[in-house]
Order: sequence, then C-alpha cells, then structure tokens
Amino acid sequence: MNIAGYKIKLEKKTSFSGLEAAALSVLAVVVALFLVGFIFLQAGVDPAKGYAEIFSYAFINSFGVPLTINRAIFLLLCTFAFILPMRAGLWNIGMAGQLYAGALAAFGVAYAFGARTNPDVPAGIVLPLMILAAMAGGGLMGLIPGFLKGKFNTNEIVVTMMLNFIAFWVTAHMIKEGGPFMGSGGEGEGFKLPPVLQPGLFLGMPFTIWFALGLTALLQFVFTKTRIGYEIRSFGASPAAARYAGVDPFKISVLVFVAGGVIAGLAGYHYFATVPGLFKIPKNYGDFGDLAFYGIICGLISQGNPLAAIPLAVLFGGLTSGGRFVQGKLQLGFGIDYAMLGVLMIILVAFQFFFRYRVVFKKEKEA
Amino acid sequence: MWEFWVRSLNASTIFTVAALGEIIGQRAGIMNVGVEGAMLFGATISFIVTKTTGSYLLGFLAGIAVGALIGLLHAFFSVTLGGDQVVNGMGIWILGFGLTAYIGYPYTGPLGLPRLPAINGLSPFFLLSLLLAAGIWFFLFKTHAGLKLRSVGENPSVAEVSGINVVRTRYASVMFSGALMGLAGSIYALDYNPVWNYNFLMGWGFIALALVFFSMWNPFLLLGGSILFGALWQVSLNPEALLPNIFSRYIWRTFPFVITVIVLILMSTKWFSSRWGAARPEALGLPYEK
Amino acid sequence: MDVLSTNEIKHGDVVLEARGITKRYPGLVANDHVDFEVRAGEIHAILGENGAGKTTLMSILFGLVRPDEGEIYVFGKKVNFKSPLDAIKLGIGMVHQTRKLVAAHTVLENILLGHPKTGVILDFKKAAEEVARLCDRYEYKLNLNDKVWHLSEGEKQMVEILKALYRGARILILDEPTSSLAPPETKKLLETIQIMTRDELAIVPFITHKLPVVLSVSQRVTVLRRGKVVARLNTREATEQMLAREMVGREVMFNLERAQVERGKAVLEVQNLSVYDEKGMKAVKDVSFSVHEGEIFGIAGVSGNGQQPLAEALAGLRKAAEGRVLLDGSEITRLSSMERWKRGIGYIPSEQRAVGSIGDFSLVENILMSYYYDDEFCRRGVIDAKKIRARAEELVAEYGVATPSVDVLAKNLSGGNLQKLILARVLSRQPRLIIANLPTQGLDVGATEFVQNKLLEAKKAGAAVLLISEDLDEVLALSDRIAPMYEGRFMDILPGGEAEREIVGALMAGIRQKAAEQ
Repeated sequence: MNIAGYKIKLEKKTSFSGLEAAALSVLAVVVALFLVGFIFLQAGVDPAKGYAEIFSYAFINSFGVPLTINRAIFLLLCTFAFILPMRAGLWNIGMAGQLYAGALAAFGVAYAFGARTNPDVPAGIVLPLMILAAMAGGGLMGLIPGFLKGKFNTNEIVVTMMLNFIAFWVTAHMIKEGGPFMGSGGEGEGFKLPPVLQPGLFLGMPFTIWFALGLTALLQFVFTKTRIGYEIRSFGASPAAARYAGVDPFKISVLVFVAGGVIAGLAGYHYFATVPGLFKIPKNYGDFGDLAFYGIICGLISQGNPLAAIPLAVLFGGLTSGGRFVQGKLQLGFGIDYAMLGVLMIILVAFQFFFRYRVVFKKEKEA
Repeated sequence: MWEFWVRSLNASTIFTVAALGEIIGQRAGIMNVGVEGAMLFGATISFIVTKTTGSYLLGFLAGIAVGALIGLLHAFFSVTLGGDQVVNGMGIWILGFGLTAYIGYPYTGPLGLPRLPAINGLSPFFLLSLLLAAGIWFFLFKTHAGLKLRSVGENPSVAEVSGINVVRTRYASVMFSGALMGLAGSIYALDYNPVWNYNFLMGWGFIALALVFFSMWNPFLLLGGSILFGALWQVSLNPEALLPNIFSRYIWRTFPFVITVIVLILMSTKWFSSRWGAARPEALGLPYEK
Repeated sequence: MDVLSTNEIKHGDVVLEARGITKRYPGLVANDHVDFEVRAGEIHAILGENGAGKTTLMSILFGLVRPDEGEIYVFGKKVNFKSPLDAIKLGIGMVHQTRKLVAAHTVLENILLGHPKTGVILDFKKAAEEVARLCDRYEYKLNLNDKVWHLSEGEKQMVEILKALYRGARILILDEPTSSLAPPETKKLLETIQIMTRDELAIVPFITHKLPVVLSVSQRVTVLRRGKVVARLNTREATEQMLAREMVGREVMFNLERAQVERGKAVLEVQNLSVYDEKGMKAVKDVSFSVHEGEIFGIAGVSGNGQQPLAEALAGLRKAAEGRVLLDGSEITRLSSMERWKRGIGYIPSEQRAVGSIGDFSLVENILMSYYYDDEFCRRGVIDAKKIRARAEELVAEYGVATPSVDVLAKNLSGGNLQKLILARVLSRQPRLIIANLPTQGLDVGATEFVQNKLLEAKKAGAAVLLISEDLDEVLALSDRIAPMYEGRFMDILPGGEAEREIVGALMAGIRQKAAEQ
C-alpha cells in the first residue's frame, strides 16, 4: 500500500519490548471503550456523560469504590486462575465452575459445623477451614480438566465449559428447593453465615486483598525466576520442545489447572464469604460466574503478566460495577457490562495481529 | 414414549445443524470453538426480527445471515490475519455471549406467535437436518468442490499447487459454516424454545462442538451422536417421565454435560484414536501462509 | 493438453526451450543467461550443486518465478507464465522434491484434485479406468483406492507423475527424483521414466548428487555452476569424474577424516526393543544392538522405516512396548526423558525448529533447556540467571553461532546456526550417549561439515554416538558400524570400514538375498 510517497508494509515481529506490549494493550482497551461508546449513542446517551458517570461511581463515589475493590480482588483472582494455564498454552474457561465449587466447599464446612442454624460456631477453627476448603474445592474442580488434558489430551476448553454448567446446576441443587444449604428465607438462596464467620474489613477492604496481592508477587516470581516457571513457559511456547527438554506434560497440565482452580476457589470464597451484604451464596450467583469471564479479558490483555493484571482488574472491576450503576441511573438496557465484555474480547482478538506484526512506513524509493 | 422421542429428535436437530456447520469449517482446516457465540447471535437476531415483524421467514433469513457474518469475521481473523483460531473462536463466543445479552434483553420473554407447524409433534426442521446431513456428506465425498474443500483442510499447500484458491475456499467454508450455526440458533429460538432469555442456549453450542470430534467429521455419525444427546437432554429435562425420581431436577440438568465429558474422555483415549484418529483433518487449526 | 496428442509431436522436436534466462536477487545472480532445451522423447538432466541456480531455473520453467531477462518457448511458441497454472495448461508437469499429496486421501482423489476437466460431481469410475490405462501403459502397478499415507516414497512419487500426466503434461520436471528413494525404488523409477520417453514425453530431472543416476538414464546433461551453464554434454561421452569436476569446478576428493578410536565398553544396550508409532502400528520390531564408547553406530534407512520412533524411545519420549534399554549397564527402559538427560543421554532431534528449540525464546533460554534441571544452574528451584547467561555466551562463541547477541530469539537464527546452538547445548552436557537424528538434514555444506566433525570429536572424547541418517554416504563416511533399517527391523549390522555401498543400499530397501549373493 502506498500513501503520500510512503510505502506501508507489514513486517513480522522478530523482537518485542515490554513497552510496546503495554502500549498495544492500552490501545486495545481504548479502542474497545470507544466502540462501546456507540452503544451509549444508540441508547440515546452521550458517551462522554456515560463514561463520566461510570468512572465517578466506580472510583469516587463512596458506595461505588468498595464495590470496585471487591470486584477487582475477585477479577484479579479469576485472572490468575486463567493466566496459570495460559502461560502453559492451556485454556481455563472454567473459572466459573471452580469458583462455585470453592464457594460450595467453604459453605459446606460452615454447614458441617452447624452454622446454618447455630450462630455460635468456633470461628477460630471454622474460618481457616472454610478458606482451605474453598481452595480444595476449586483445586479439585481444576484437577478434572488438568488430569484429563495430561492423561488423555482431552480438549480442555470443552471440558471446563461443561464443568461450568455442571457446577452451576449442582449449586442450584444445593441452595434451592430444599437443598441442604437453603437459607431460612426459602427463596432460592443459600444460608447466611453467622456474624462470627463474617470476617471484618481491613481499611474498608476484605482481607482477601492480601491473597490477591501476595499471589501477584508469587506468580511474578514463579514465572520469571524459577525452574517450574520456566517449565510452564516452555511448555506454553512449544509443547514438543518442552517434552524433548524433559518437561513432563502431565505434571504441568495438572499443576497449572489445580493451581488455577485453587485460586478460582479463593475467588468464590472472597465474593460469597467476605463481602459485606452477601455472606451467602446469593440467588444470582450465576452473575458472578459470568463476571469471571472478565478474567479471560484481563489475562489476554496482560499477556499473562501478573503485575499488569492489577490495573486491569481495577479498571474492569470499576467498569462493570459502574456499568451496572449507570444502567439504572440513565435507564439503559440490561447488560451494558456484558456488551462491553463482548466488544473488549473481539477487539483483543483483532489486536493479536499487531502483537505479531509491525506496521512499517518506508519512504518510497525512486525506482 | 412417542412424545419423548419427538422431543429428543427436535433437540437433536439443533445439535446436528450447528455441528454440521462446524464440520464444514473444520474439514477446510478452520476450527471455530465459538459455535455457541454464533448460535447465540443467530438465535437472538432471528428472535428479534420475528418478534418485531411477525414473520418467521424473515427471522430465519436474518439468523442465517448474521451467522454467515460471524463466519466472515472468524474467517477474517483466522485466514487473513492468521491469528490463533482458538483465541478467535473464544472471541466469537464471548462477543456473542456479551452482545446478545445486551441486544436481546428488551425482548426477554416468549415470542408470542403461533407455533410453527409440526408433524405429530415432530419439527419439520428435523427432516431438514437429515437432508442437510445427507447433502453435506454427498458434497464432501462425491463432488469436486468437496474434494477441494477437504484437501484445503488436510494440506493447503498441496491444494494450492493443484490450482485451488485456499483463501477463498476457507472463507466460503467458514461463512457457510457460520450460516448453519446461525440457522441452528434460529431453530432453537423460533421453534424449539421460543422464549428469549440471556444466554438461553446453555452450552448447546459447546456440546455441538464436542459432537464434531465425536462424529469423526462424518455427517452420518454426527446424526447418531446428536440424537443420543437429544435424548439425554430430554431425560434431564423431564426425568420423572422416564425414570424414578432419584435426583433433584437440578442434578438431572447436569447429565448431558457429564455425558459430554465422558464421551470426550473416551474419544481421547489411545484405544479410540488409534482406530479412528486419522479422520482428523491434518491442517486443522493451522494458519496458512504461502 | 488434449490438442497436443502424441501423434502431433515428432521424436526429437524441441518441446521446451529457454534462451538467455537471467534472474537476479539482491547480491546474487541466480541464473546468468542460461540456455536450455529439451526434445520430445528425451531425458535431459540438469546437474548442479546447492546454490548453483537449479531451483531458480526450475521455478522459472514452471512459472513460479518470473525471469528478469530471457525467453521461454513451449512447443515452439513464446510463452509468458504468470503462474504455475499457465505452465500446467501448456503441458508442463512438475514433481517437487517434497511430496505434494494429501496423505489422508486416496490415490485417485489425489489425481483428480484440481483437475480442470472434472465435473461438479466426481466420476470416480471413469477416472479410475483412465488412470489405470495410464498405469498399464507405463507398466506400473498401483492400487488407486489406497490411501496415500500407506504408500512407499516411490509410489507416492509415481502418483504425482500420474497426476501430471493425467492433466496432460508432455514435459515433466522432476526435482531430485531419487533423493528420498531406496536403491530398488530408484531403479524402478528410472525404468518407468524410460518407458515414458517412448511416448515422446520430455523429462527434465534436476539432480544434485546422484551422478550415476544421471549417467544411467539421461541422453543429455546440462551442468550449472554459480548460475551459469558450464557444460552441456551427451551423456554417452560423460564420466562421473568429469561431471563432478564441472559441477564443483575442481577435482573432488571423496574423503572424510575418520580417526580410529579404541572401542570401549558398551554404553547403550538395546535388547529386543519394540515401539509403536502414533498411529498405533508397530514401527520398531524386536531390535537389539549396543553402542560403545568411542564408536559411531550408524543407522541407515529411507525415511519412515522406524528410525524416528526408535530415537524417541531411546530418548524417553516414546514408550517401549517390549524389550529393554540399558545405559552403562543399568536399566532405563521406564525412565522419563528428564531422568535420561540427567544420566547422560543427549538427544539431537530431527526437527530443529519444532522440537529442538523454542523459537519464541531467547538463545539464553534455549540453552537453559539442557540446564534448568541442573542444581548448579538452578538452586532450590530458582534459576541462576547470571550463570546461565555466561554459559550461553561461552557456548555461542565456542560453536561459532552467528548472532548479534544471546538475547536474540531462536526463530531468527538460520538453520545452520540453530543446529550449532542445539549441538552446543547438547554436547556441552558431555553426554555418555549422543543420539543424532538426521543431524545434517537441510544444512549447507559448511554447517554439515561442522556437525560431522563435532560428532567425530565427541567420539574421540569417548562418547558413544548413535547416528541416524537418510544419507547413505554420510552413514558410510562416519560410522564404525552400520545397521540398515527397513520396516522397523535392522537388516544386519555391518562393520563400517568394509561395508559396501550397494549392499547397504539393498538392505535399506529390504532386499536380503541380493545382499547375500554379492
């Protein structure tokens, strides 16, 4: 293509700087938000006003900010659950199922100690056990696709998606229509944790923020400095070469899925057991499974970099909470956050191209 | 019993049509894991068009057209931009999941039109799915265009030296493939379950995707698999009709998904792949560069 | 094409002519005023080393590349090819060195694919009859309903020739037609193309190495060197030495320095090993052998006779179905590849880019592939970045890997440099046993020599070397013992110094009696 004496050419990238990657990622988000602006227009809302409302609710409003933080922690954990397999070249789209499993396991512990009816359970024992159970529940859920992938090379995308639906219905069974975890209200919700099992806030934030931040540091260290991180990355870059170099595909596949599941399980614990106003598996638990798909977006934009996931989780935590808010305030249709999810994803897909190619402008030479 | 089988066959129709679409694309070497997304688009758009115009025909046409457009998008990403087909497919799915949730929301609820005619409860679309399966089988294995399409999926560079335009063939296949997924979504939304709700396909697209692997890329084997899954779905929806009440209806709902996983496991064992594994198109999922 | 039926072409007519073909690439004249002609009923070979301009000439004659200067005449008419399709329409058929067939389809489907006269619906019956007639005519037996992946290399090549003929080709360009064939298949091919010349077909084989092939079948030979035609001879008047001299430009020494090293104790012992391939077929059948210190054990064979599964089974990448493998006397049959690396097996895989390296990783991280499990470079699971970097820089310098820095991604290295890197990585671990699977495949002369010398050095240093090669000359030149492999079995194990080329060649093709007779 020639424009104004310049030749425009596509060149395959041979190297790739972190700065370039970051710039492209930011650009992808900006383009997506620009496109979502058309949805505002179509709904008869000035996009500038729409975004102003979203951002001010999400990052300034005293009701919005805690919501943003809760969601950011949740998204960060979901992102890590996605990133771990992603770095090994595997797709975990089962964060929803894993987080339901984590939540069910955590509430299962509370239930076993009689917390459904008895407000005086030994919190010192039950609380840590709930956390461990959430991790175990999510981990077991992750073990299934990891084991199947490693042992039989079963398609992990279909398996994790199927497990999402399975876990969704099992959760329904547990909390609805006479299920064991049914709340006293009987309206298709799980029972509420007694006050002793409701962890307090730290500077207005659930204590699970420490899990999220600790995991960020841990994953960053694992990926860049350690043997196991190298094994995961080489398996992701070229399974055949990694196998040749002695990496055990079974071990890697089980490891990343179980670790991912453990983290997703924590995400389930975080939202249903530490966020004020919930402390139960709510009727609309499916919304949180859907929200977990934002973990895929964060994971893809961050290119699997745990540090880069933090600002993204905060941004999308804010956008989704703010989106829900303006929906009511500006009388938009349902699901602006869903529309944003879709648009972001497809823009990211298109941007893959720029991660592989570089557009080169060359002054046209006289022939 | 008749009623059970009629419902099963009606459900199988949707699996068959969507999976036939996926077979066509995969036979040409392009995998689209976003079947669910393309179906959601087909379902939602056809539902909206029919609800607003009152015309079933327009609804189906719109569903097919939007499916083909989604196919075009996938072909653009996968053929022209040469991106990772799994990533692209995930993009199609999440785009469909997110955007249809938003677009369709104002139309939540029943279609509110007289149901399409049925033959003693059996949807005429079931017969259409049989015809499509037979037609696609004939096309793939008995016509020159089908041979070209399969060659493109097996070994595009060979196809190229044989004078076949790989890019054009892949575009056409993936668009047709998308059109069938759109049609499958339309049948779901206009005939099988004409009540719109967000994400109301509940993973049927993913089951269709699994059925493609199960079918060894063969339309007739696919029919068998679809009917099996259609029946399972009916059992899970209405277990009391057939089986004693062992589980709650929620647990029954998990059954088709559990079975899908089990079938996938069986198919990925050595025992299976050593017998029928060679059916997989060799160039499936690989971008083609001259 | 139909219009050019056999009757209209008279024996000796010039059917394809190139005049003054010139093609320049930046910094290189690939073809420099090349003149060439071939007559009906003639086999006219084109001979030249790698880089002599054969590929460019061939691509120009087939319409893949456009010449900068020069003219091409087909059946006396000046032509201007825009794409290979134009060449095909005019009756030129090309058989590439790499097979251009769809492995999963039948022979007939492959022949019909893309045929311009085929109707919308394929008439398999009629086509089968027509192709069968062609086969009969050229005395070649082929089951048209076989899937192509079942066929031998020679049969696959014949399918391509038939495909070209069925499309109406009167001029056949064959690119290295004998390079992947075992000797008996080569013989069969040469017989068949000679029969074809009876029908006034013109055949142009492009050949690099196999001088006897040229001498045995062609009527004329054109020799290319550095883009220019340096000789055009009637084959009757040519000798092997003469052709070699013209090709290379000087007298050729067919020699490689091979030091005799004292053979030590057995490093690798393989007992009755059987291995399945990915299709579930037994690819290695009951193989037993040993490789000793200071020895190169060469496995010679045509591709696809079980060498790959054997190498993978020894490297721990594939399960052994039956039998035992011992390293320095202790059993390793069930050990993982990691454990085998640690015990001193160094595997150089045949696929450098897909298996031997990670393209998106830097050279440092590629070197790390053989060091990450070593506690010296990776303490308590944490990689010592400084140490591995220093080692990478050392190795890149020592092995002469041409690269601006060790941070370059491996995918940017040329084939020769990449192989040096892989060699550096594997050999620097000082393995007891080196498994070199097609170590020089696709490399230029310089890199080939480098790799071969490194293997000889390792042998001198006391390592056991298992060399797997499809190049019979390489195996003969390097090996102390030679095992010709055919359909998963060793046909024999012969001492390297005395093994005769013909015998090993026959055994590679599965012919035992003949070898015994000689």
